[in-house]
Amino acid sequence: MLNRQRIPFLAAGHFFISAILFCVRNSFSLVAIISLATAFVLTARPRSSTAGLQAPASTLPAQGQPTTNVPPQQAAPPPSAPPQVAPQPPVHNGPVIVIDPAHGGTDTGARGQNGVIEKDLVLLMARITRYALEREGFRVVMTRNDDSNPSYDDRAAIANAYRDVIFVSFHISSTGTPNTARAYFYKFSETPPNASAITTNANTLPITPAKTTSLLGWEEAQRPFGDASHRLADILQADLTLRFPGSSAAASGVAVRGLRSAAGPAVAIELSNVAVSDRNQLVEMVEPVATAVVHSITATRPSGGQSGVPGTR
Amino acid sequence: MPRNLKITLAILSLAVLIGLISLRSLHRRITGLKENPTSEEQARRDLLATTTSAPTDARMQTKIFWAAGPDKIAPVQVALALSPDPVKRAKQVLNELITDAPAADQRTLPADAVVLGFYILPDGTAIADFSEALASETPSGILSEQMAVDSIKSTLENNVPGLSRLKILIHGQEVETLAGHVDLTGFFDLNPPSAQSPSAPASNPAPSGTKK
Repeated sequence: MLNRQRIPFLAAGHFFISAILFCVRNSFSLVAIISLATAFVLTARPRSSTAGLQAPASTLPAQGQPTTNVPPQQAAPPPSAPPQVAPQPPVHNGPVIVIDPAHGGTDTGARGQNGVIEKDLVLLMARITRYALEREGFRVVMTRNDDSNPSYDDRAAIANAYRDVIFVSFHISSTGTPNTARAYFYKFSETPPNASAITTNANTLPITPAKTTSLLGWEEAQRPFGDASHRLADILQADLTLRFPGSSAAASGVAVRGLRSAAGPAVAIELSNVAVSDRNQLVEMVEPVATAVVHSITATRPSGGQSGVPGTR
Repeated sequence: MPRNLKITLAILSLAVLIGLISLRSLHRRITGLKENPTSEEQARRDLLATTTSAPTDARMQTKIFWAAGPDKIAPVQVALALSPDPVKRAKQVLNELITDAPAADQRTLPADAVVLGFYILPDGTAIADFSEALASETPSGILSEQMAVDSIKSTLENNVPGLSRLKILIHGQEVETLAGHVDLTGFFDLNPPSAQSPSAPASNPAPSGTKK
């Protein structure tokens, strides 16, 4: 009885050991076969899924029938269910949008008594705006996407690496009427740089001679784009005022350091303020701000990339 | 009891008595220090404070620009004895702007800020040198920094004639920004041609008030 029961176990064991020995002996062949099968499966899957998107089963010709060059939709248009094609974001030939969440790292920016930290909220705002812009087909680059703190020049350098760029900087103030937003553009001094440089006395020559070169200095990179930035900021401010009643009617021209070296239309948006009692008040402002940015940029730079803003490259 | 020991005990008792008497006045001084903490900036201000007005200075109405809400500044009429010398006059009005705000929420510059120096170049460029407190204690933000600069600009524009532009230094040095946003490497226009037109106010105007 015991022997009869043991015989199948012995046979199974023997078979198992034989299988292992066979695998070891023919390991190279087995590995090759498995690799081929895996490669076949991997290459076959995308084809079938793409085919499914481009030509639904209902539109494919039946087996045995001759295939024609007629597009599938014309060949057999289903009356009630049009083919489901995945929405593709529009390809935008317009400017690169550089989004700049201010501060970062050890520079926290403004801090509220209720734990609101500017650097964190502006990063959230930048990410949501990036998503909204990318959905519209814009190419978006961020000056930081973590808790780092690039210098002003590093941020400008990221923007200036592109020929056609719009620079948008995000801030949250420590003062101001809560639930309002302001748009800023860089305002240079109306007195030309070095036109009346510091003199030791009235009869001596200026210490710094007036610039005669036509090259654009890094420190003055924003100057040729002043009008374009002003117009973009005005459009943005009008949109923000609609979304956040109480915001100022027009954009403000302020010497915001972060905008000075950007060689393209550049605006800063500042929300008020970190002193709110509930952080969610500011979080709720983020999405409308992102929408306002998308609308404003689309209004000034329609798809196709041709500048609607004078002064842009 | 030996005589030496008696003398020693007497001296020690006397020392303890003197200590107890002086302890009271020492305690009073410490309490006074706690009540009136004097920061380094305030001590410097006391040291640097020149006579803000001379007997010959004429008392006149000045316009000092303080905050008139969370996001705007407005002039307040203040009667001040002003020097005819534009440098002294500029210091007087800036000191008034810093030290004499009608209310705490109307302050645009930190209370600890000090005007360390003020210079006017022949071309009308004004250079205002402030202490470190201006940069370190101004609330961070474009709006608050803009209001601080605008209050300095507007106060100078309205009280010191002949200035064309303003350069702000911190402790004698050019700094990149005031408190992280507003660029201090350049100049600020005073009485710019564009501001003469009614469509370009210096900052959100608000009804003016009278302080004194």
